[in-house]
Amino acid sequence: MDRFAIATPSAGATSDAVSRINASAFGFQAHRSADVAVETSKTFAVVSRFHRAIGTITIVASAIFLLCIMLLKVDERRRDVAALRLIGCSERTIVGSVVLEAAAIAVLGSLFGVVVGGTASFLVNRHYQAVYRTPLRFSIVTGDIVVLAVALALVLGLVAGWLAARRLVRTPPLALFGR
Amino acid sequence: MTGKAIVEVRDLVREYRMGEERVPALRGVTFTVDQGEYAAIVGPSGCGKSTLLNLLGVIDRPTSGTVSIAGERVDQLDDARATEFRLRRIGFVFQRFYLLQALTARENVELPLAEAGMAGAERRARALELLDYVGLGRRERHRPSQLSGGEQQRVAIARALANRPALLLADEPTGELDARTGAEMIALFERLNRDGTTVVVVTHDEDLARAAKRVIHMRDGTIVDDVRVDPADRRVEPAGLAPEPHER
Amino acid sequence: MLATLAIASLVRHRTRTVLAILGVAVSAAMLLDMVMLSSGMRESFRGLLLSQGFQLRLSPRGTLPFDTEATIRGADSLLAVIRARPAVVAASPVLGGQLHFPTSGAAVTASALGVEPAVQGDYELVAGRQPTAPNEIVANDATFRAIGHSLGDTVRAAAGYDPQLRTYSGERTLRLVGRVRFIYLALDQRAVALPITTLRAMNGPASTDRISLAMVKLRPGADVERERAALHALLPQVTVTSTAQALEQVDQRLSYFRQLAVILGSVSLVVGFLLVTTLVTVSVNERIGEIAVMRAIGVRRWRIVGQILLESSALMLIAAPLGLALGLVTARWLDSILSRFPGLPERIDFFLFQPRAAWTALGLLVVSGILAGVYPSWRSASLPIAVTLRQEAVG
Repeated sequence: MDRFAIATPSAGATSDAVSRINASAFGFQAHRSADVAVETSKTFAVVSRFHRAIGTITIVASAIFLLCIMLLKVDERRRDVAALRLIGCSERTIVGSVVLEAAAIAVLGSLFGVVVGGTASFLVNRHYQAVYRTPLRFSIVTGDIVVLAVALALVLGLVAGWLAARRLVRTPPLALFGR
Repeated sequence: MTGKAIVEVRDLVREYRMGEERVPALRGVTFTVDQGEYAAIVGPSGCGKSTLLNLLGVIDRPTSGTVSIAGERVDQLDDARATEFRLRRIGFVFQRFYLLQALTARENVELPLAEAGMAGAERRARALELLDYVGLGRRERHRPSQLSGGEQQRVAIARALANRPALLLADEPTGELDARTGAEMIALFERLNRDGTTVVVVTHDEDLARAAKRVIHMRDGTIVDDVRVDPADRRVEPAGLAPEPHER
Repeated sequence: MLATLAIASLVRHRTRTVLAILGVAVSAAMLLDMVMLSSGMRESFRGLLLSQGFQLRLSPRGTLPFDTEATIRGADSLLAVIRARPAVVAASPVLGGQLHFPTSGAAVTASALGVEPAVQGDYELVAGRQPTAPNEIVANDATFRAIGHSLGDTVRAAAGYDPQLRTYSGERTLRLVGRVRFIYLALDQRAVALPITTLRAMNGPASTDRISLAMVKLRPGADVERERAALHALLPQVTVTSTAQALEQVDQRLSYFRQLAVILGSVSLVVGFLLVTTLVTVSVNERIGEIAVMRAIGVRRWRIVGQILLESSALMLIAAPLGLALGLVTARWLDSILSRFPGLPERIDFFLFQPRAAWTALGLLVVSGILAGVYPSWRSASLPIAVTLRQEAVG
């Protein structure tokens, strides 16, 4: 026999068993299953950290892209904004409508992204389960991940829309018409 | 005026398609403009005068009929040749100036010169000469946003004159200007014509029409009257009204 | 003139220009990182394998070097056959094992490599000297720390350990003569090296005339594949692996990172392209009136397109070097994460900067960004002039 496993009724009993076995049994070293899991999961822990780093970079990049696109989009509407200002709409109304539009785009875009991400996750699992012949799931899209993605996109969209709209409403309407 | 025709228009028709309908903007216009002439085209809104000007400026194509500028047929030119023609033979002044906001006054005037292949130093000198001519020699480094309406229109005129065009066309050149600035503009056009430029303007401005030596009245896409006048006579009718029969 | 206009247009919309440059720079950085990742591991490993000049590795048939505990019999005759080849400059035998160093607490176990110090290719000497005498040993920093000894000390070491009886076999007193860095082991992995004859003696009869691995160095210009095939034919009891084959196997095992690199790299390229397309489209839409005026005064269509392309070129050419710098910084960060893989040799980099690949990738991004402006600019320069001027006047 090379090794054997022991089931214990509680965590306290586990610690007790480890000490007794190490103190008395010839030639055997007892390890907690949890400790073994940590040791053997080091590779996955590194991959996990790597994925989180890639995710962070992606979020930063997305924020910049979103801000750029929102600025362009809102700039395109400069004449509409100018006309609204000239007929008496308040800055608050205009900023509010632009921000609402930005939020809608962000939420719709993120929902579309969730669908794309979910599909990609499914394909990734199918592929790597076949390659490595394992039932392990390589990618899991959970509810809280979806909520985080949509919430983050919404916040970014709101901020980008607000910044872009503020720039426009601070410009005199006639200047927006190019006069 | 030399008696030599610079503009020859024959049976010019321009129709626009609006959905299923065909809307005629010009219904068969025929006239000529002699070299050195100063003509104003007047008429109520929608009478086709701007459409006529666009066809003379080779920025639009007629549905039928012919247009010749300086002896060259221009009504069926392909895009490349039309562009070249506009660059070298036509000067166009717009109601809204249409200066490039990112460029200075001098750079705006240089643009057609650069396009015509003029070298840097020569181009700069010519641009300054033109700005001096229109009275803006000291404003060459200003951008359009730093110029008044009248000054911007002067820059636009200088730009239009850059390549010594055979024909200067102006679409409501005083439309965006106040009365005083408009008067300055009228004086400038008169000077241009005295110096030999053939000028055709489209206008609602009575004063500008009065300054021209010939007034072409249009209504509903046709010419209803064509009067050559001596400016001293001041016989020009206000834009949009046909002359009384006894005055023809 | 048009260059002046292009630059003036960019300067006029400063915020937009800066954001666009940042956006493209981030795309460029990600693209560069993915290019570095796709080939970094492979090239880094290749460099590692060739660092000591050994092009071929012989391991027990059907295995890769140190994949199993299997050994090769008849080591002496095998080495004689290898060394008899005219193309062979050196053959380095390696016997793998473990040594246990009894301490006041639990014994410290270290990986042991039995080598011929004169031709070995497994470690680099950092301090001290090679183990020339039978009872001499060299160790890495992790081992020195674990056993609590210094250079010049003598230590007791044992090759065998009976866990039932908790007794050692094959014990010897060895002298620590050198501090080394093992090329193919992780930094924190405890390891020692000693003369192969000593390790065999400590292991007992089971290790007589056996090796785990032989590394072969060929003359410059020798045909590696030919020698590999010849040795494979002469020595049926071993698997002969060239550097190229070893790299293929590494590629297979690390295909995940290559695929990730291709996917993320493609996404970066597409996003960069879309960003520039959007920017140019909006920029051009705003200037439709201006473009119509330029056409009206006689500026040729292709010149207008050229001016707009100049703008997108300027954007890309500013963003690309920025992206390069950003990419190198993020690559270092990501590499520091991946370098913590357990058992990874210290010298392996996942992200390796290769100038040719990097410039190709960035060049691709710059060109695609420039081309992204072609359609919107051509379209706007082809609009009917009179209609456009009227619409712009009304608007």
